[in-house]
Amino acid sequence: MLKTSISNLVKSVEDIISDEIESVEIKDEKYVSITVKYDYLLHVAETLKNNLGFTIPVACGGIDYLDEDKMQMIYYISNPKSRFIITLRVDIPRNSPQLPSLTQVWEAMSFHEREAHEMFGVEFKDHPNMVPLLLPPSWKGGYPLRKDFKGEGIK
Amino acid sequence: MSEPEIKPEIMRISWGPQHPMSGQTRILLDTDGEKVHRIIADLGFTHRGIEKILENRSLIGGIVPIDRMAMVDTSNISIGYVTAAEKAYGLEVPERANWIRSLVCEMGRINSHLYAFGLQAESTGYFPAVFLWTTVDREVLLDLFEELTGARWSYNFFLPGGVYKDLPEGFKEKVIEAVHYLRNRFQNYWTAMIENPMFEMRCNNVAVLKPEDAIRLGATGPSLRGSGVDIDIRKIEPYAAYADLDFDVITEDACDVMARTKVRFHEIGQSLNMMEQIAKEIPEGPIKTRFTPFMRAPEGEHYIRVETSRGELGIHLFTNGTTNPYRVKINPPSLRNMYVFERLAELDEIMVADIPVVINSIDPWYLDSDR
Repeated sequence: MLKTSISNLVKSVEDIISDEIESVEIKDEKYVSITVKYDYLLHVAETLKNNLGFTIPVACGGIDYLDEDKMQMIYYISNPKSRFIITLRVDIPRNSPQLPSLTQVWEAMSFHEREAHEMFGVEFKDHPNMVPLLLPPSWKGGYPLRKDFKGEGIK
Repeated sequence: MSEPEIKPEIMRISWGPQHPMSGQTRILLDTDGEKVHRIIADLGFTHRGIEKILENRSLIGGIVPIDRMAMVDTSNISIGYVTAAEKAYGLEVPERANWIRSLVCEMGRINSHLYAFGLQAESTGYFPAVFLWTTVDREVLLDLFEELTGARWSYNFFLPGGVYKDLPEGFKEKVIEAVHYLRNRFQNYWTAMIENPMFEMRCNNVAVLKPEDAIRLGATGPSLRGSGVDIDIRKIEPYAAYADLDFDVITEDACDVMARTKVRFHEIGQSLNMMEQIAKEIPEGPIKTRFTPFMRAPEGEHYIRVETSRGELGIHLFTNGTTNPYRVKINPPSLRNMYVFERLAELDEIMVADIPVVINSIDPWYLDSDR
């Protein structure tokens, strides 16, 4: 029964937003991964929230692929009814990482986007309060979670 | 000629990190007289870069730094990481090891909830003695931890594929003895705290967080269940031995500080039941699968959710065929709850004097939110 409902989710994702996503795959019993095309991130996020009921913002964070010269932002969102978790992924170029802020959709992404901004240097357009979350405001040592970060401290 | 606009006099107060009730964080309060208009959390005082540290260690070596994410709740944090490492290695865990893991996790949960409960009592200002009671009662658990794992804090007890040691001789009887002792004590706590009119006055109808707001703001753990939403990862995705254990997901409908305190209280009761059940029904068998410590993990990614005392912890582990993880993304529960705390002043009227009570009802752990 469980299996059918998660395949139903994948089917409805494919039905509604097939043009805007690159791939969707079932990773685990209650865990689906959606890779979205760069231009459609905001629209897919709105669809997931309004049409498919993914209203719990869990977190978001980046991952740096230095060899492939790209970064990926991963948004973790959950559904309070079916309790499924979705990772919404979007590839961004490494030299100018820019994304629309998903605080417009899930308000609570605010903290996590602030963290991704200071740790990976991702710019979030229209974020209401883009100040460092964990690092000191005077930090000038680079983006710590990028793979080419040397950890030399503040000069 | 229009009348001059009367603006409220806003004063900004910096609360913490030296305040006895604040923990390792600073909170800015925009106040108008006694009323709090806006809360701004200034996190990062205990940021150690655990995610980066984990990238520079082997998968096994990562167990030590990740234990430092929440000292009072070590077992529930490290089980998430260890489970992810197991999935990366493709290891099976023997049944007995799973039961021992659940035992240690539940003991950790009681330990953590007791601490939270003591702080909650202390923050109302009337009951400094209760904090001492909980400290003494936590000793019972810490002694059990010491006998089982060899450490009172940060045990490094879980290994991929099992647990470090088997239960010592006579340990099950000691667990049952501790359960009986703590059950008795909780009668006292209930009478002295929850049913106490003074405690009720400080906690009832303070900082109401409605279910829809709790979901929208991403609350988790007792903060979410205190608003009547029955989300508990132990039921949704049972890990360790939780599929075999009998327990209920505790929810309260009042949505206020008292509801969140009661959820913790009843969860301690559920955890005690589980401890007793484990001590009575734990199966015999091996406690670990053999594996080479510095094995290379094949390329892949694994997302693990576990229920810590403070809520849902997510560990997203990326491996790329070396001994070290490529990236470990930690989704800590306290960071989510801190955001809820920041927004609470907009949802309900909060007084300056209520701030310690409210923040302890959310029970943030800054080592956890800052990583």
